[in-house]
Amino acid sequence: MCHVSVGHVARSIEDSGIPTVTIVTKAFRHRAEEMKLPRTLVVPHLMGRPMGAANDVERQSEVLDAALALFGTATRNGTIKEFPEAYRTGP
Amino acid sequence: MAEPDRTESFGSFRKSFSYGTRNDLNFKFFKSMSDDDAASFLQDLLDRLGDAYDTGDVGPLIEAAYEAQLVGYTPTTGGPVPKFAYEDGPFTEVAIPVGRARVGLLTTSGHFVAGDDPEPFGEQNMSQDDAVRRIAESLTSTPFLSEIPSNTPTGDLHVRHGGYDIRSALRDPNVTLPIDRMREADADGRVGSLAPTFYSYPGATSHGRLRGELPGWLERIHAQDIDLMLLVPV
Repeated sequence: MCHVSVGHVARSIEDSGIPTVTIVTKAFRHRAEEMKLPRTLVVPHLMGRPMGAANDVERQSEVLDAALALFGTATRNGTIKEFPEAYRTGP
Repeated sequence: MAEPDRTESFGSFRKSFSYGTRNDLNFKFFKSMSDDDAASFLQDLLDRLGDAYDTGDVGPLIEAAYEAQLVGYTPTTGGPVPKFAYEDGPFTEVAIPVGRARVGLLTTSGHFVAGDDPEPFGEQNMSQDDAVRRIAESLTSTPFLSEIPSNTPTGDLHVRHGGYDIRSALRDPNVTLPIDRMREADADGRVGSLAPTFYSYPGATSHGRLRGELPGWLERIHAQDIDLMLLVPV
C-alpha cells in the first residue's frame, strides 16, 4: 500500500514543479510502472529495507547516490533504473 | 471425549501470516501466493536451511525469501486491474544540478520525532503491536504527515507502522529514512543543501483521504524552497 500512496504523492509533487526520484523495492516495481512515476530507482532489497540492510552505511550511500544521479540523467516520465547490486546483510 | 478437529487447509495456513493467527509482516505475501508457490518456497527454504546447518551461511535463505517476495507481490497475468494505473504522468525538468540543489526527503516509514507523536486514533503512546492490530482502520483513515527536522539526532527518532516489520528500522532508521546518509551527502557536497524539514507518514492509509491532504502537504513542502525531492516508500 505504501508504494501506491507514495505514487500519489510523487505525482503531485512533480506536477507542482519539484522534480522527484522514488526509490522502489523491486517487489513493487509494477506500482511505479502502473502509476507512471517520473523517475524510479528499483532496488533489489527486501521489503522494509529499501536503502539496504541495517547499518550497511556503504550500501545505503550507494543507493542514495544512484537515486540522486537519476535527477541528472532522466529525460522523460517513466524513467526506471535498476540498482545493480544484490541485497546483502549489514556488518 | 473426542479431540476437536484441528484440520487446517494449506490456504488457510498461508493466509494466517497476513494479519491472522500467525501474523508476520515479512511473510504476509504468503496470502497472495498460490498453494504450489508457497509450498515450493517452504520446501526450498528448509532445504537451504539443511545446508546452513553445516555452512553457517544464511545468505541462500535470504535469497530464497527475496525471490519469494517477488513472486508474492508481483501481479499475475490476468489478475485484477490495478485501481491506480495511468496512461502518462508528470515530468518536471531539473533546473539546478544536484550538487547545488536543496534536496528534500519524504518517506512512508512512519517515523516521527520524540515528543511529536501523531497519536493515531487519538491513542497516546500507541505500540507497534497496536498499529498492526488496527491496520484495517489505518487503511481507511487520513494520514498525518510528520515533520522531521533534517538535523534531528537519530536517537530522537521513533517509528511505528502497521504495514511492515519495523525491526530493521529500529536497528537503523536509515534503512527507511536515510537521514544520516543525506547529512553525509550534504557534508561531502554531493548535494547543495538539505531541506530544513524532512517528512514521514505511515503509507498504509486511505488513498482517497491522502489525496485530499495533498494540497496542504504541497503547500508545506513548497514553503521550504525545495529544488529536488527524494521519496522512499516502504
